[in-house]
Amino acid sequence: MLTQSAHAASDRALIPGYRQPAHDKAGDWLRQCVVFVGVCAIVLPIFWITLTAFKLPKDVYSLSAAFNFTVTLENLRTVFEHPWNLGSKIVNSLVVATSTVLLAIPMATMAAYAFSRFEFRFKKTIFLVVIASQFIPAAVIVLPYFLMFKQLGMLDTRSALVLVNMSIVLPYAVWMMKGFIDAVPVEIEESAMVDGAHRARVIWEIVVPTALPGIITAAVFCFTLTWNEFLFALIISKQDALTLPIGLIGFRTERGDLWELMAAGGILITAPMFILSLLVQKQFIQSLTAGSVR
Amino acid sequence: MTQISLRGLYKSFGATQVVRDLNLEIADQEFLVLLGPSGCGKTTTMRMVAGLEQATHGEIAFDGRRMNEVPTQSRDVAMVFQNYGLYPHMTVAENIGYPLKLRGINGADRQAAIERAADRVELGAYLQRRPRELSGGQRQRVALARSIVRTPKVFLMDEPLSNLDAKLRVAMRAEIKHLAYELQVTTLYVTHDQVEAMTLAHRVAIMKDGVIVQLASPEEIYDDPVNTYVAGFIGSPPMNLIEVNAQASWANAENGARIEVAAPRQGPITLGIRAEDVQLTDMDRAHFSVEVFAFELLGDSTLVTIKLGQTGVTVKGDKSLRLKFGDRVGVRLDPAHLYWFESATGLRIR
Amino acid sequence: MKRWPVHWLLLAPALLFVGAMALFPLGYSLILSFREWKLAKTSVVGEFVGLQNYVDLLTDDPDFFEALRATCIFVTADVLVTVAVSLGAALLLHRAGRLNSLARTLLILPFVMSPALIGISFRFFLNAEYGVLASAVAAVFPSMKDTVWLADSTLAMIAVVASDVWHWAPYMTLMILGGLASIPSETQEAARVDGAGSWAVFRDITWPQLMPVVAVVMVLKTVFALKAFDTIFTLTSGGPGNATKTLAYFVYEQGFNYYDMGYAAASAYVLTAILLVLAGFYLRLVFGKAR
Repeated sequence: MLTQSAHAASDRALIPGYRQPAHDKAGDWLRQCVVFVGVCAIVLPIFWITLTAFKLPKDVYSLSAAFNFTVTLENLRTVFEHPWNLGSKIVNSLVVATSTVLLAIPMATMAAYAFSRFEFRFKKTIFLVVIASQFIPAAVIVLPYFLMFKQLGMLDTRSALVLVNMSIVLPYAVWMMKGFIDAVPVEIEESAMVDGAHRARVIWEIVVPTALPGIITAAVFCFTLTWNEFLFALIISKQDALTLPIGLIGFRTERGDLWELMAAGGILITAPMFILSLLVQKQFIQSLTAGSVR
Repeated sequence: MTQISLRGLYKSFGATQVVRDLNLEIADQEFLVLLGPSGCGKTTTMRMVAGLEQATHGEIAFDGRRMNEVPTQSRDVAMVFQNYGLYPHMTVAENIGYPLKLRGINGADRQAAIERAADRVELGAYLQRRPRELSGGQRQRVALARSIVRTPKVFLMDEPLSNLDAKLRVAMRAEIKHLAYELQVTTLYVTHDQVEAMTLAHRVAIMKDGVIVQLASPEEIYDDPVNTYVAGFIGSPPMNLIEVNAQASWANAENGARIEVAAPRQGPITLGIRAEDVQLTDMDRAHFSVEVFAFELLGDSTLVTIKLGQTGVTVKGDKSLRLKFGDRVGVRLDPAHLYWFESATGLRIR
Repeated sequence: MKRWPVHWLLLAPALLFVGAMALFPLGYSLILSFREWKLAKTSVVGEFVGLQNYVDLLTDDPDFFEALRATCIFVTADVLVTVAVSLGAALLLHRAGRLNSLARTLLILPFVMSPALIGISFRFFLNAEYGVLASAVAAVFPSMKDTVWLADSTLAMIAVVASDVWHWAPYMTLMILGGLASIPSETQEAARVDGAGSWAVFRDITWPQLMPVVAVVMVLKTVFALKAFDTIFTLTSGGPGNATKTLAYFVYEQGFNYYDMGYAAASAYVLTAILLVLAGFYLRLVFGKAR
């Protein structure tokens, strides 16, 4: 297998296990062009929004000032002021996302451990039901809960958002965690038990540290889902519990769309996600791809 | 009927040079084994012959015709992969018949060829199965059948037996040797198992770090190794290599034992002797006496390990020999079967 | 180790939660759908009307059928384009090379961008006066200069599909890349040794082994397309008229613009029924073979 690792050293591949077929110059060049176009398709929109965030309104509304414009940080300052108050929305988003993750991941890890290590009646059915709950449309969940929260006076609270977000996030979390726990060799748990540890200790001191990269990956994934969540926030929050995505549409006023402010808000909402995802990318991709191939 | 020439072959992956200045001429119908540990470049060399890797420098020729630019599918070679490379979505029959399908041979002709190949490896009853339903040995035979269903110019085999259990390995070794002989095809075989090399090859090329260290027949490699690497690689158990300090007519071993043998030169030198050439005798005929460190019963023979200082020396004994740990024995090194190597370089002193 | 039902203790929190937050609403919505309840008028759950909501939906509501139509168009276009793009991209990127490595790293980014933001951004890009994308298209097709994308039914649909493809195709590309990587390279090499050229290798060896992954991708994307809301809301608000008002949007509108809860629940349930059928396909594909 040296040839594989030697090869990988030269490509720094993300996905192991492919080799370079024989050369074909013209075909190669054509392929590279298409890939380049694809890369542009991904990068240019992001780039354009970023540029827009630093433009004055007059430069936004005209394409002639596409690249030579006066750079301004005003937009980034304005979005934090009244009436946009992105600051409080960032706080809300952070609180909701973090709470969701802090509650969902332990739950999911425990459940995933049970699915991975134990055999019991109905195991397969229960697992499938948990996984299948991701196919329930958000509207079906939000209708009853909207009514219940209304009656409990919980509308427009962060707690309400955390609860409904957990319902979105749990099936994915359980699915991902099960994959990561499956990858931890049972032998090390058995060693620990022979050494005298009871199950809870084994999980906490052996399994969790070993599966930690996976736990972090699942946590980041769930954080992303919650951070970007829109429908629930739209319906449940009104004033106090507004999150960032809803903050974005607040820039659509009767006077028109304030694109430069929206772009600034866009950067704020997206930059953290880009950074997080690039950090856990390798693990993330492994778990994604493991989900499609069984 | 193909002669293979490898001249001045180099292969690098990025900054790592995996094959260096490799020169090899394989005669028509020769069974040549590339032997070495993992990472020595043997598999890479074979993949270059197959066209699955491109040489960085150097030339590969079949019957004098340069093959470097010829794509794999046009080289008319057959290859058995370490993990067999069977097509999981096809039946055994379809797997075997694929090379024919690609060449436009269809219908009754193809079916007949498939059955002939399958019968040769005794898989006739399994033609409609899928690879996942077969055992390792059966999959191995499907891969073999696929490689013989047409008559290629060259057989390439990449550690085909390494995934089989010991007993099966012995049986398949004989099958492969028989097939190569019967079909009269030039064969290049890669392995890290020296037993396979010894039993199958017309000639063995032992490789280390991308170069061929010795190219010779199995007997020659066994009886006349060119350095300590080859000496220590071939033979089971491997040759004993003992560091001694040679004087005029004797040599001092690590533990002070004085061995009455004449070395070709004085000073530090490596003495090599095979386990079967070390004798356990009475004290008056022995070169030195020592305690038994370990004793193993193999069934057809016994292995006794003794220690000269830190160095272990293995002795092959008769199957009826019985010793216990700590027993004192006299050891004699048969002077007719001593090998001498330079201590610094490991090169053989002839 | 199996004397105590430890596994139930471990499972309990997650199961309770799924039960409460997913299964319970599923049932409650069903009950709601059998009741007439206009929230704007009264806070008390309305009376039982049996299947009336469903009947109204199917017989008396042209908007519902338009929503179904829009959904069909949107989902079909979205899934076909996404799968085609992802498959092509995966095959292209499944090779060594610095540009390819860079491209693979970037694939994760569109997925982590908020779909709402993507919708807003595309709105911006397609503005007739200063939208960069609108101008680019106009440069290639001069007849398209000054068209208001979002005022044209077809163009609006294209825009919505494009933005959803932008969000999901890279993610799907990663999934297919994973599938490609798990095909043992030896099966492809053996085919080449046997005499297969590039096309034959793909047709006979790669594609048959890749098909299961592509099937999963198709089903998954169909589900996501049916659920898609954020992008449509921010890009077109379902417009112009009802052109891009998919079933998901329709449900939202019924429930939270018109506050007709029972009716909304009924339409949500139609959507749910479709999704659960797809869920069945997905589960069978992924878990169907031996476990």
